[in-house]
Amino acid sequence: MNGQNLDRYRLHLMLCAGTACVSNKAFKIKEALDEELKKQGLDKEVIVVMTGCNGFCAVGPVMTVMPDGIFYHSLTKDIIPHLVEEHFLKGRPVKRLLFTPPAERVPIPKMMDIGFFSRQTLISLRNRGLIDPEVIDEYIARDGYKALAKALTEMSTEDIIEEVKKSGLRGRGGAGFPTGLKWELCWNQPGDTKYIICNGDEGDPGAYMDRSIVEADPHSVIEGMLIGARAIGARKGYVYIRAEYPLAMKRLEIALAQARDYGLLGERIFDTDFSFDISIKQGAGAFVCGEETSLIGSIEGRPPEPRQRPPFPVESGLWGKPTVINNVETWATIPVIIDRGSDWFSSIGTPLSKGTKVFSLVGKINNTGLVEVPMGITLKEIIYDIGGGIPKGKKFKAIQTGGPSGGCIPASLINLPVDYEKLTEAGSIMGSGGLIVMDEDTCVVDVAKYFIEFTNDESCGKCASCRDGSTELLEILRRICRGEGKEKDIQILEELSDAIKDASMCGLGQTLPNPVLSTLRYFEDEYIEHIKYKRCSALVCKGIISSACQHICPLSQDVPSYIGLIARGKLEDAIKVVRKENPLPLVCGRVCNTPCEKKCVAGEWDDPISIRLLKRFLADYEMKHDLDTGEKPKSQKKEKVAIVGSGPGGLTCAYYLALEGYKVTIFESQELPGGMLALGIPDFRLPKDVLKYEIDRIKKLGVEIKTNTTVGKDISLAKLKEDYNAVFIAIGAHRGLKMKIPGEEAGGVIDAIEFLRDVNLGRQVKIGDKVIVVGGGNSAIDAARVARRLGRNTKILYRRTRAEMPAIESEVEGAMAEGVEIQFLAAPVKVISGNGQLKAIECIRMELGEIDQSGRRRPVPVEGSEFRLDVDTLILAISQEPDVSLFSGNGLNISKWNTIEVDPETLSTNIKGIFAGGDVVTGPNTVTEAMAHGKTAAQMIDTYIRGEKLERRYEVTRPAVHVEAVELTEQETKSLKRPEVQSRPVEQRLKDFSEVELGFSEADAVLEAKRCLRCDLEAKE
Amino acid sequence: MPKLTIKDLDAISERVKKTTLLREGAGRAKITVHMGTCGIAAGARVIMSTLMDEFEKQNIKDVILTSSGCAGLCSKEPMATVELKGDAPVKYVDLTPEKIRRILAEHVNGGKIVSDYALAVGSERVS
Repeated sequence: MNGQNLDRYRLHLMLCAGTACVSNKAFKIKEALDEELKKQGLDKEVIVVMTGCNGFCAVGPVMTVMPDGIFYHSLTKDIIPHLVEEHFLKGRPVKRLLFTPPAERVPIPKMMDIGFFSRQTLISLRNRGLIDPEVIDEYIARDGYKALAKALTEMSTEDIIEEVKKSGLRGRGGAGFPTGLKWELCWNQPGDTKYIICNGDEGDPGAYMDRSIVEADPHSVIEGMLIGARAIGARKGYVYIRAEYPLAMKRLEIALAQARDYGLLGERIFDTDFSFDISIKQGAGAFVCGEETSLIGSIEGRPPEPRQRPPFPVESGLWGKPTVINNVETWATIPVIIDRGSDWFSSIGTPLSKGTKVFSLVGKINNTGLVEVPMGITLKEIIYDIGGGIPKGKKFKAIQTGGPSGGCIPASLINLPVDYEKLTEAGSIMGSGGLIVMDEDTCVVDVAKYFIEFTNDESCGKCASCRDGSTELLEILRRICRGEGKEKDIQILEELSDAIKDASMCGLGQTLPNPVLSTLRYFEDEYIEHIKYKRCSALVCKGIISSACQHICPLSQDVPSYIGLIARGKLEDAIKVVRKENPLPLVCGRVCNTPCEKKCVAGEWDDPISIRLLKRFLADYEMKHDLDTGEKPKSQKKEKVAIVGSGPGGLTCAYYLALEGYKVTIFESQELPGGMLALGIPDFRLPKDVLKYEIDRIKKLGVEIKTNTTVGKDISLAKLKEDYNAVFIAIGAHRGLKMKIPGEEAGGVIDAIEFLRDVNLGRQVKIGDKVIVVGGGNSAIDAARVARRLGRNTKILYRRTRAEMPAIESEVEGAMAEGVEIQFLAAPVKVISGNGQLKAIECIRMELGEIDQSGRRRPVPVEGSEFRLDVDTLILAISQEPDVSLFSGNGLNISKWNTIEVDPETLSTNIKGIFAGGDVVTGPNTVTEAMAHGKTAAQMIDTYIRGEKLERRYEVTRPAVHVEAVELTEQETKSLKRPEVQSRPVEQRLKDFSEVELGFSEADAVLEAKRCLRCDLEAKE
Repeated sequence: MPKLTIKDLDAISERVKKTTLLREGAGRAKITVHMGTCGIAAGARVIMSTLMDEFEKQNIKDVILTSSGCAGLCSKEPMATVELKGDAPVKYVDLTPEKIRRILAEHVNGGKIVSDYALAVGSERVS
């Protein structure tokens, strides 16, 4: 159809030219159609176009008549004259050839609409799922042994080798040596006895390409070997297949017997002078047998150990004779290359890597399976378009290609095209085709440890570098994963890896350090995290984390212990455990964003444990009974510490310093202490009296809080430095950011933080009837819910979708229940005002575009989708930054984000004796992160005042106390489920600012605590 | 079995189509259970034996029951492909004996695709 003007044709007949339809004589149909159209004088009006496969191969040949979209199937040559006359001449579609839709139209996608299938190109897997592998006739019916016939009767051995060379096919076993060249080298060897071997010793964890090919289509391998044998002049071949593949073995045996029966193996095949037969050699499952010289040794009955190359097997292979050894997938590809020609094959792929590659796609991926894709496809297409992305919306972290010999490729290289060269450049290998996808919950050090465990186990032991080197690598990695890594370990790992690569004889040893080297290359920070900071952010290494909830908590709150104590009914002991790490349990029990619950192991298959509500239950219990949990200053010290700001960071720092015996004074510029807790969070989430009780407990330790005192105005920082032994600045981030869009200075555009502060302080707020809040964080939700309580019609605009919303999920639900409308995927672009007063906003719709390197889809504006919303008050809750204007003249280093610069480990500023932490350092962050800073600052200030070296000590996470697990009855195991928390009904909520969530009853709390899996006990073993 | 000649390949091909391809009149429907190791591990044998039981119980003679290898999407095994004469094949996933009985009753015998369990219609593109 090149150069033809298609417009002049009235009808286009789209005739499928996919392999299946072609083998069903599609070309004969085309000839018949062309002839008949000409006969009827329609050849100027109707054109036949050959198209690619549309997936309806089973009813082929198929044809779609465009533009009407009429679909014919099961076409035969004889029917064409009738069809042309009836439909194209007389305009009457031939009903009996029309595709009969299912009895009822159902919304089932076509195979080609499903990314998993539509992005694949099947060559090696051409017959998968379509034929009965135990029936040779079914293989023959799909053009089986046609290529052999061609090779034997139409081609010389040189032709065959040339064709394979021209195709660009490279060994699919991993190393990628050009197949045609290998054959030629063998063919050039003198001697009459030569061998063909099929390497089916597939040993990579997570890889099963070869198994699947042999199971689904054994004859494709046999035919490939026959053609190879013809090319090099071999009379005998071996399939080396592991004994762990019984089904593959059985099907291969059946296939060999059937082929022999048909004379396709044996003497004088197809009555030519070519004779060849194949034996199966069972492997015992040693990984090293995948290495060709070891495999040959195993066939010969020697121990499977590699030998020095050269000589290569093509010169001296099995029993010293020239031998071609290729893997299963390579052999299965050969018949198609011979049948369809090298030009066709080499048109697929990249300049140096031709054709397709089969991968087994496993790990943290939605569609696990076997995929065959053209070389050059990107990792992103494989992971997202074919694999359907990462389960549960988690972040993609890395992908291991090439099994234990391969490497770990990070998310930042997701656009990498997959071919031999690119993967090698990235520090990995193609390997035989295992793709293991890892998400945010995968620890790369643990992955490296896993692979080295494997190769250490599988090393044949011949080379000391491989045998002992891998043992040493493993020892170091195990130590790191236990939290006992040493600073020099990284260097040793690198040097040792290089030595193993250099000194090992075969591929096993030469590649075994790859998982270590590639993870070190891309994730060195994670090694440092394990070694220096005793952290495993993927929450995998048990020896470091103890339990995920405790390790991820910025406060290292000993969650399993206090939950275990609740389950035993020991509530007072439980609150003491909480208090040890957390001076604000009433607050955290209400407003914590619960990273612990998101990583709770129980949440993997059920609801996560309600950790926050259990803590709240304990804190409420403590408040109700005004329990004395016994925290008292250890001693009375004479040194004094000033803390600027009474938010969660300042209060926590004050608490721990007071316990050490220091005299602590907090300076608070507002009339109420508590910072954002008091001013930013509305009463219905955190009642004032609850916060007051919490702060009063801290005051009881001797902490003084001076409200209405602004440092930098009422008292200078210099004065504090003079009067106190140390200063901690924790003034938070209270200045709202602007949207930076035209017109936003209009009256009626207000800031969420100011709005919430005024409401919290009982001041009059002026807002109109129609309120729109812009943003997706907790401040946006809080501001909207306050506006609803003030009786306003309230809407939230958020530029992404609900899945990306940073606000606490239950708060979003609460807001929606209270009648707050949330418009997702929309953002304001212009504020429209009259007389300086807000009237409306112009918005634009967003859509989620490409996946960025964080693995999330970024919002992009949809051109021409602008729309207008009338509004009286626009509340901006985009983000906040610290207001450091009162500190900037003091010589403190301020970053370009208006945060105070500190040493991240010690929190000390550039001025000796002045420390800073919380949002003023990090920018807007969570309550517990600010508290964690307060805790660290207290330790560092204590160290500083005692005149010791400022240095953090990092330790692995461990429970503070040992709490025995509660035995559950069988009934309990079955019936326990996360209890619903009591909340005030919506109608009541909107009337005032009383607390919405009412917490657990004691009975519910104990039942919920029993549901905890107590991961901490696992770490003890 | 006498040795095959090249001409025999075409003859076998024709014969197979008559016996396995529905449009050639071999039966009114064909069920392919995907029985690679992945499918078998996920329970494909039980699906196959359920179908064999049902065929016997219901005295079904005009439906081809066959097996094949892995269909690729291992995470959704056991899988089966159901093809009625004149219709595109339908792939069913995550099968259980109950599901395959319902598919036999509603789709194979009733002509109505069981959309609850169907993944897709049509076949894969073979390049």
